Amino acid sequence: MSFNNYEDLTRNEVVDLLRQWRENNERKGEDILTLFETIIPVLNKLGSEKYLILEQVIYAALDCHYYETAMWWIMMLNVEFPGSMRVMRYKAACLEAEEKYDEALEILDNIIQSDDTNAAARKRRICILKAQGLVNDAIKALVDYLKMFMSDMEAWQELSELYLQVQEYSKAAFCAEELILHQPHNHLMHQRLADIRYTMGGIENMELAKSYYCQALKLNPENKRAKLGLFLVTNALVSQYKAAGGARRSDAWRLAQWAQRGAAPDLSAAMLQLAITD
Amino acid sequence: MAELLLDPNIRLWVFLPIVIITFLVGIVRHYVSIILSSQKKIELLQVQDSQVMIRARLLRENGKYLPRQSFAMRRHWFNNEDTGYFKVQKRVAASQNPMTDPGMMTDMLKGNVTNVLPMIVIGGWINWMFSGFLTTKVPFPLTLRFKPMLQRGVELAYLDASWVSSASWYFLNVFGLRTIYTLVLGENNAADQSKVMQEQMAGPAMAMPPDSKAAFKAEWEALEITEHRWALASSEADILAATEQPQ
Repeated sequence: MSFNNYEDLTRNEVVDLLRQWRENNERKGEDILTLFETIIPVLNKLGSEKYLILEQVIYAALDCHYYETAMWWIMMLNVEFPGSMRVMRYKAACLEAEEKYDEALEILDNIIQSDDTNAAARKRRICILKAQGLVNDAIKALVDYLKMFMSDMEAWQELSELYLQVQEYSKAAFCAEELILHQPHNHLMHQRLADIRYTMGGIENMELAKSYYCQALKLNPENKRAKLGLFLVTNALVSQYKAAGGARRSDAWRLAQWAQRGAAPDLSAAMLQLAITD
Repeated sequence: MAELLLDPNIRLWVFLPIVIITFLVGIVRHYVSIILSSQKKIELLQVQDSQVMIRARLLRENGKYLPRQSFAMRRHWFNNEDTGYFKVQKRVAASQNPMTDPGMMTDMLKGNVTNVLPMIVIGGWINWMFSGFLTTKVPFPLTLRFKPMLQRGVELAYLDASWVSSASWYFLNVFGLRTIYTLVLGENNAADQSKVMQEQMAGPAMAMPPDSKAAFKAEWEALEITEHRWALASSEADILAATEQPQ
């Protein structure tokens, strides 16, 4: 949708559009702010949805570095809900965006102190560590967090990525497995674990990677990355088994052929290139 | 039997006031319970326990998507005799007597203040104030069995069962205004009294706190007997078969 179209929308449509973005977690910062301008006059008629929209606007403003706008609305909310944890979190987010990490940490600590089950505040603390580049500290904090909130999928995913950054592949694989436990029908989770296993190398890991790539392709035959990964991993396996030969080698060979056959032109070009450099 | 005629004043001064009083009392109860309600604080340990339970359940259900070694490693972590999570974490069994918990006591008191007390007071007042009137007549004949229900306070043996007495009219209102409350106050309002009655019939109105110790033991057992069957064993053959068939 182009920028100018927004002016034709009625106010109700604007509210609907904002709600849609909110529910889909779409971070269209600039668009949200321009749309929000048009509904400011009717803001008070929206009832409790007003506050959800304000939350969305605050985060949009922070995304676009409009700190004054964000702070203005945070202050408005603060007047209406003095002492609210949620408003405190906005404040911390604002400070965080301005890179005033110490002040943000102070607010987050206050939140955690008064409500130690507040998972969002704990996670923001870890994000601050990560933003400061303290990956090892972030990992440590995240592990502590996961000891308490073990079924937090986002946190496992984040930890997996952090471990990848410091090249702790087996730990990253553990986290990726945890993700599969949570969402066994999401092809991206299988693909992620396969990627990690492939990177780790070794015949055993390659075999696992092969299985997971196959599972990812089974769940979503359009997954190009999984297809390319399957091709690479089977190629590697074929060369590994060269000496031993036998059934395993022909299995891997068949899969490699299959992956190459079904590939789109751009993908097969990539396969050839990568196979040659291998 | 001769047809009865009701004084129009009964409609104005008995029938309508009862409706209005019950309705307004419901509204007031709603707002009082909002004022009195205390937000339940969840303890960190409780959150942790529930999350552990979720993770163990997921391992049981979706463990087949992991390689055998990874599955065994996780089960070992939960179930090992000496170091397993379910063995090491000692939770106190839920207290047998909720009366010992002061938080529980205030909750109960609040429940009584907002629900039981008004019922007794208003019901008693209505009984005293408007007793002995016939207020309305249901537009269909009823059998004698309905007499004690519809004609409380008017014990006339030969009166047609379709007549409704004032005290019964009050009770009909108490139970019948639920949809009106939903209309006015929205869903999940506290004005409705029939729900309270149901709870009292059903037994203890308080929810017991989750018993982590028993839950851990159950989960430990369930995990112990879980067998690992690798779900991905056939995935390679499956994708090969899926594409070869159409050709």
